[in-house]
Amino acid sequence: MKKNKNIALLVVTLLISIPFMSLAQQAASISISGEVLTPLTLTKADLANYKSASHKSKDKDGKEHEYKGVALVEVLEKAGVTLGGKLRGENLAKVVLVQAADGYEVVYSLPELDPEFSNNTVLLVAEKDGAPLAAGEGPFRLVAPQDKKQARWIREVRSIKVVFVK
Amino acid sequence: MNNNTHISPQQSNRKGFRWLLLSIAVVSVVISGLNTDDNQPEPYPLVYPANFGGRITIPADNPTTREGVALGRMLFYEKKLSADNTLSCGSCHEQKLAFTDGKAFSVGVDKSLTARNSMALVNLLWVRNFFWDGRSPGLEEQAVFPMTNPHEMGQSMEASVRKLQQVPVYGTMFKKAFGTANIDADKIRKALAQFERTLISADSPYDRYLAGTYQPTAQELRGMNLFMEPPAPEKGIRGANCGHCHGGPKTFKELFHNNGLDATPKDSGREAVSNQAEDKGRFRVPTLRNIALTDPYMHDGRFKTLAEVLEHYNEHIQESPTLSSFLRGTSNEKGGKTLLLNQTEKADIIAFLQMLTDKTFINNPAFSDPNKSLKQ
Ligand code: HEC
Ligand code: HEC
Repeated sequence: MKKNKNIALLVVTLLISIPFMSLAQQAASISISGEVLTPLTLTKADLANYKSASHKSKDKDGKEHEYKGVALVEVLEKAGVTLGGKLRGENLAKVVLVQAADGYEVVYSLPELDPEFSNNTVLLVAEKDGAPLAAGEGPFRLVAPQDKKQARWIREVRSIKVVFVK
Repeated sequence: MNNNTHISPQQSNRKGFRWLLLSIAVVSVVISGLNTDDNQPEPYPLVYPANFGGRITIPADNPTTREGVALGRMLFYEKKLSADNTLSCGSCHEQKLAFTDGKAFSVGVDKSLTARNSMALVNLLWVRNFFWDGRSPGLEEQAVFPMTNPHEMGQSMEASVRKLQQVPVYGTMFKKAFGTANIDADKIRKALAQFERTLISADSPYDRYLAGTYQPTAQELRGMNLFMEPPAPEKGIRGANCGHCHGGPKTFKELFHNNGLDATPKDSGREAVSNQAEDKGRFRVPTLRNIALTDPYMHDGRFKTLAEVLEHYNEHIQESPTLSSFLRGTSNEKGGKTLLLNQTEKADIIAFLQMLTDKTFINNPAFSDPNKSLKQ
């Protein structure tokens, strides 16, 4: 009897919580999709699984900031993007399309991210001066130290998609 | 494409008449020679300036054709698509108001008000996420919403199909457009979308300025610079940075921002679509094409005039966790919290906004109610 009552209670609780579950805010994350072997959804906690990388640079205000995160190429490798030995032939006609929460978009080519092609490292960062990136800039941002203009230091990154240029 | 239009209607004498018959025959031969299948609808040329860019959306299964557009135009103005035969798309999207309706909220068949302000239908070819919150991914999908929403046209697609089946001209028009007189919901959506894709506005004084055929007044030029430039007080550059969100030759970029209307937004906007708290109070940045004609302004029509809009951006931006970072601390004075434009500068920006009114677009007979133009 008591057991049944407990089960009934559980069912009722579950039923009640269904609408809340679907309404629940998703934890801030980015998706890696498109021409990948394994689509990924990354949260800030997941970044700890990658080798950390950082970059110091002066902002518009002239102050120096330290950005901390991981090399973007490592995340793409994890997703099974054609890099390294596989970055040849038609794979050279793929681009990485990065989209921000406000719809802003930029692209990188695979060779400019791949250490076998380039000495530059584009970073996917989540911290600035030891603190999480502020709203409007984070939770994720790209840092491309080789770019003189910061237009591709895209803020509020929501999705990274590898696509063929048709 | 249609060579018949080159034949003067004044040819009344016999010889002329014979020539006319002969040339019609020649033209028909040429046309039938070009078309392998006479029943194929003819492609509709979508013409726009190169600086608009080619990032347009036309689904592979709904190419834009002259016949499809003609049908879509009829349907756009067809009141039978509403439950009580009183409303068409054109009721809330009037051509003379750049396809808006001049109201803060529109009245639906059930006499209730829409939740948001009617949007201008212009240069939709370049839009990828429709509505104020970007919830609809394509014109074909979008069209079903106003037709079936009880607070707008309030009629099921099945009922619309039945009503159209009773009007003989539609059988003919659907056959011309889609090769079959069989009317269904899918074809209604497709035809409406085809017509909407033709609503291209590219002949405002600003377009002509970009094309090198219009010399703006000194005030318009000052307004244009202020509109486009971010302020840089340390370098002595004054600006309003509107172009960051509203710039480019189309004065439309598909972006979503919270432009500081409310500290606690009543309408959560994009958040309801993305389910992410960072999107609270974010709305699609609307086009500023024909903006002088599309008052009242914002998703809830809260501002009646452009002067009120300028006051908002200059003096009344509301701080909130999701306020766009591009509107925070942007100022013409060192350390200033707001834009701090003066009265002349605000008037200059309004003069520029008036350069975006495209009279060719609002008077284009191809976009008007076909039934009204027949009667004229
Ligand atoms: C009762 C008034 C009303 C009617 C009738 C109506 N609309 Fe709208 N329309 C609106 C409103 C209000 C919006 C904005 C709604 C929103 O964002 O939630 C809108 C938005 C749109 C948009 C989005 C534009 C953009 O840039 O994203 C399109 C396209 C559109 N309507 C087409 C149509 C078509 C086609 C019809 C007829 C089938 C139609 N409308 C009938 C009021 C109306
Ligand atoms: C950070 C991006 C951003 C900037 C910068 C910006 N706007 Fe906007 N603008 C928006 C958004 C988003 C909306 C729609 C907001 C809503 O309705 O909730 C909007 C709406 C408008 C509208 C009303 C459009 C309509 O159809 O109702 C006008 C007019 C306008 N802005 C003019 C300007 C001017 C002038 C400036 C510069 C002083 C400016 N904007 C700067 C994002 C921006």
